[in-house]
Amino acid sequence: MTNHYCDMQNADVIMTIGSNNVENHPVSSKWVQKALDRGATWIVVDPRYTRSAEMADIYCPIRSGTDIAFYGGLFNYIIEHDLWQHEYVLNYTNASYLLDEQYSFDVNEGIFSGFNEETATYDNHSWHYQVESTKTWDTSEGGAYAWAAAPGVPEFTPPTVEVPKRDMTLQDPMCVFQQMKKHYSRYDLDTVSSVCGMDKDLLEKVYATYASTGAPDKSGTILYALGQTQHTYGAQNCRSMGILQLLLGNVGVAGGGVNALRGEPNVQGATDMGMLVANQPGYLNWPTEYGTPSLRKWCEKETYSDGYYTNKPKFVVSALKEWFGDAATVDNDYGYDWWPKVPKSPDYSIIGSFELMSQGVIKGYFNWGMNPCHSAPNASNVRKAMANLDWLVVADWVETESACFWKAPDMNPADIDTTVYFLPAALIYEKPGIILNSGRWLQWRYQAVEPWDEAKPDYEICDVLWTAIVDLYKKEGGVAPEPIVNTKWDYYVDGKIDPRPVAWALNGYVYDGTECDTTSAAPKTELLSSFANLKADGSTACGMWIYTGFWANNDAPLDPAEQAVGSRVADDPTGLGLHPKWSFAWPLNRRIIYNRASADMQGKPWNPDRVLVEWTGEKWVQNDVGDFVAVSNGTPVPPNDKAFMMLWEQNARLESYGMGDGPLPEHYEPFESPSDNQMNGRQNSPCVRFAEFESVKRGDRSEFPIAVTTYSVTEHWQTGGQTRTCPALNEAMPQQFVEMSLELAEEKGIKNGEKVRVRNNRGEVEVMALVTPRFKPFTVNGETVHQVGMTHHFGWAGEYATGDIVNDLPPNVGDPNCWVPEYKAFLVDIEKI
Amino acid sequence: MSDKAILFDTSRCSACRGCQVACKCWNDLPSTLEKNGNPPTGSYQSPMDLNGDTRILISFNEEAGGSKGVKWAFGRRSCQHCTDAACATICPAGAITKHEATGLVTVDDSKCIGCQYCSTACPFDVPRYQEGLRTTVNKCTGCVDRIEQGLEPACVTTCQPDALVFGDRDEMIALAHERADFLKARGYEDAVVYGEDEMGGLHVIQVLKYGVAAHGQVENPQANPVVGLTQIMKPVTGAVTGLTVAGLAAMFVLGIGYKRDKLAYNPETEDTISVDTGQVVKHGDGQDEETVMEHITENLPGKKGGN
Repeated sequence: MTNHYCDMQNADVIMTIGSNNVENHPVSSKWVQKALDRGATWIVVDPRYTRSAEMADIYCPIRSGTDIAFYGGLFNYIIEHDLWQHEYVLNYTNASYLLDEQYSFDVNEGIFSGFNEETATYDNHSWHYQVESTKTWDTSEGGAYAWAAAPGVPEFTPPTVEVPKRDMTLQDPMCVFQQMKKHYSRYDLDTVSSVCGMDKDLLEKVYATYASTGAPDKSGTILYALGQTQHTYGAQNCRSMGILQLLLGNVGVAGGGVNALRGEPNVQGATDMGMLVANQPGYLNWPTEYGTPSLRKWCEKETYSDGYYTNKPKFVVSALKEWFGDAATVDNDYGYDWWPKVPKSPDYSIIGSFELMSQGVIKGYFNWGMNPCHSAPNASNVRKAMANLDWLVVADWVETESACFWKAPDMNPADIDTTVYFLPAALIYEKPGIILNSGRWLQWRYQAVEPWDEAKPDYEICDVLWTAIVDLYKKEGGVAPEPIVNTKWDYYVDGKIDPRPVAWALNGYVYDGTECDTTSAAPKTELLSSFANLKADGSTACGMWIYTGFWANNDAPLDPAEQAVGSRVADDPTGLGLHPKWSFAWPLNRRIIYNRASADMQGKPWNPDRVLVEWTGEKWVQNDVGDFVAVSNGTPVPPNDKAFMMLWEQNARLESYGMGDGPLPEHYEPFESPSDNQMNGRQNSPCVRFAEFESVKRGDRSEFPIAVTTYSVTEHWQTGGQTRTCPALNEAMPQQFVEMSLELAEEKGIKNGEKVRVRNNRGEVEVMALVTPRFKPFTVNGETVHQVGMTHHFGWAGEYATGDIVNDLPPNVGDPNCWVPEYKAFLVDIEKI
Repeated sequence: MSDKAILFDTSRCSACRGCQVACKCWNDLPSTLEKNGNPPTGSYQSPMDLNGDTRILISFNEEAGGSKGVKWAFGRRSCQHCTDAACATICPAGAITKHEATGLVTVDDSKCIGCQYCSTACPFDVPRYQEGLRTTVNKCTGCVDRIEQGLEPACVTTCQPDALVFGDRDEMIALAHERADFLKARGYEDAVVYGEDEMGGLHVIQVLKYGVAAHGQVENPQANPVVGLTQIMKPVTGAVTGLTVAGLAAMFVLGIGYKRDKLAYNPETEDTISVDTGQVVKHGDGQDEETVMEHITENLPGKKGGN
């Protein structure tokens, strides 16, 4: 989230889209209702009438997978009705930037300039800005970037600052604003309602209500979840929300923002930690074989020419220092060569990995904290892939479907030679540690009970494995022992593996002043309070630069209660729900990021009742930790237009050259869709990933005419490993269901509560039919389209409540930017059993 | 301590059923351990009715209509803690009593004789019986055990969206009216406060967004007239305590839901009487083949004809 849960109370309008926040993030309903009590309006846009819709003021049904049409229509509405926040958009976004003269969009072909049909990828050259002038870094002594030439800093050529051409009148046809206006003029109310299957009047009501937050003193918040992301254009859905909030001046303000409700209690932490194929901890990009094979190349490619990411070399060198400790020196590029490099091919993302198992390329697999035989798209294909492995290790706290994949109803154990090792892992309450919520709060949790039987915390399991592996390498050598034997692994207190020195490593510290392998009697630390103290010369170590400050009290380095992460003071001096002393929000305890944008060009807050930062004429008042340069060399910096310092432009991007599949969001149909694309001449995103895999077995609407989306219920959690072992939860939600309209049920002769078969080319499942007025058929392009929705928490494993694997049905195709699969819109047929 | 009440605001309820689960956890009430032993319900609601192991459930009632196209009304099925608590009045064993400090209607199941008078007397069809070595009443106790320790009832503590609030009854009533007015102003014209006067005043005060019936509540609840019979029966049961009394002074229920035929057993004549018609359905002179005990037990929960 840009903002956080408690901040929802400040919104004037709340839009829940691609989320069922009441059910799946129950605590959100508390804060949304506080906003309603203050007179806010709550809109829910969703294919079905959810428990969130019941609590909201306005419910707007939408056909799954048509969000970009919905947003495009809203952009058009806002621009046509002049409802955008002028001062904000003009100064804080790239609306005035001129795009390359070659930039274009071909409606008939449905592609932007730069597309290569053969590789199904874009060359983004024409999506960049026209350049007014260039500047270079001053690395001379006393210069702003003197650090880059200091001893110990890896050698790299600093990037050149390209000052973009701007037209502050927004009249130039190549300026971003004019290009947006042109691009979205096709998204009129009639077309959008026809694509989305919406009632036009209701659509207009939703647009007018949400666009009202474009008034400078109003704020609107968007709550979203996997309903936005799990599409072959999920990243563009997220971009759309960003653009919308920028047009209305809703980013950086209290009660605004783009707020991802994260799916599991610590999924924010997992994302921060780099549990992604392209990211390492702290959202730094992993080295690639093709782009950043050396530290020099990494620094040159990844370091921004301006803004805060000019400091990236400091973050990456500090990270390397934590990875390789004493072995990391400037002479060996701090061990950069020991880091694995992401290849161009093959693809090791989740979908690609199982394809590689099928091909016999991947022969061994550590499956830790996930259950892909149940949760991955086309899950039966995953089971078949795993049957091809030589060995499999599963660490979990119950026997999940992945731990017993050979027992699946569609598997024959006699045919499977995979050796499976099960490592019993402690559950969250059985170990101490840190958990992050959606609002980026880091909170320390104490252990409640001892782990069951032989179960161990993950870090203990890692320690046992790691030390054994290192011993083997030391004794026997190996093909490439250096990355293994040089890895710094010294997180011990009194000789026992401990999460507290790990916290030091994440926080960052002065390398020579800190000993991670410590004793409880005499810990030695020099922890850093800000990532501004990180150095690129090897004198600091930091595993997670964005967290710096969360564990910085050197007076009690082993006591979590004495650290910001353990602080539980609920004071709220502003009344805005910032609660600055409750836990720690990264970065730097900033509760609302981009908060510079909460005030105008003179530093005066748009809304005097919601002051986050304010320029007094002499200095900045900071009710929240300012997300901008407020003081430079001890002198207050007067207001300027640099409201988004994490971009080199320091202005937010309405148009972005950084996306793989287009600089502006454009509507395409889901990979499997019940309808033709009405917005342009191309049915699907031109860049859909993995569509070429044979295992995808694409279905056609002539055979499978019913659109389906999948979702969770509040009573169960993901694949049910935890919740299906709780009898009271099984009683509350005993089985899976497919929700369908009265109209479809009548057509199919299906009665409420009956068992039905849902099938497509990839699988078939039997579930209970829930026939309900909460689902209605959509009218799309003049034709009736039926959509249903399914829950997915059950599987064959478990002692109490079992069911078929619904995730056998979604296609294993992915978004081109982040490889996320398309669980939220695909095709099936349904028959009565 | 003044009278307390639980406020249930349906407009804030997200139907997550944390209350349902928290009640089971705090009171150590089991759910089935049989694999897939919970029957399909064709609804989000499960179980469909209260039972010997379930003291509270959230009901789901959906119908087309309203400004959003559907009205999905969530309801709370549990003890309402009447001021005029017919169950406490009729209980021959003193197992159900009014908790003086709070006005809540609490249960001491060690005293319960399994007679099930309370089930018949209750206008809300709440008390159920847990079968075990002894068959004893099981209903919401208002968590007086928690309240006496300064805690809120378990269902209230767990409620994330503050749909459940616990406090002084008069304050809960004031809050309920404030909410109902707020909802009316937002277009929920049928919003109403329930529990202020019903049964002498309930200790569960409800804000019903779509009106009384939509949320599964009882319009104008009345104690079962059989409560008057306690004049006859209480002296008998008072004289002989213990399990043996169960067979001698019993009241049975037939059918399900709110519309049960109520039968009463008169220990003086040994006749079984229909409460509704006043007619003797079985004479006490053993004219049919079943014993009186068999007639009693056939109507207990889990037995033939029971619920």
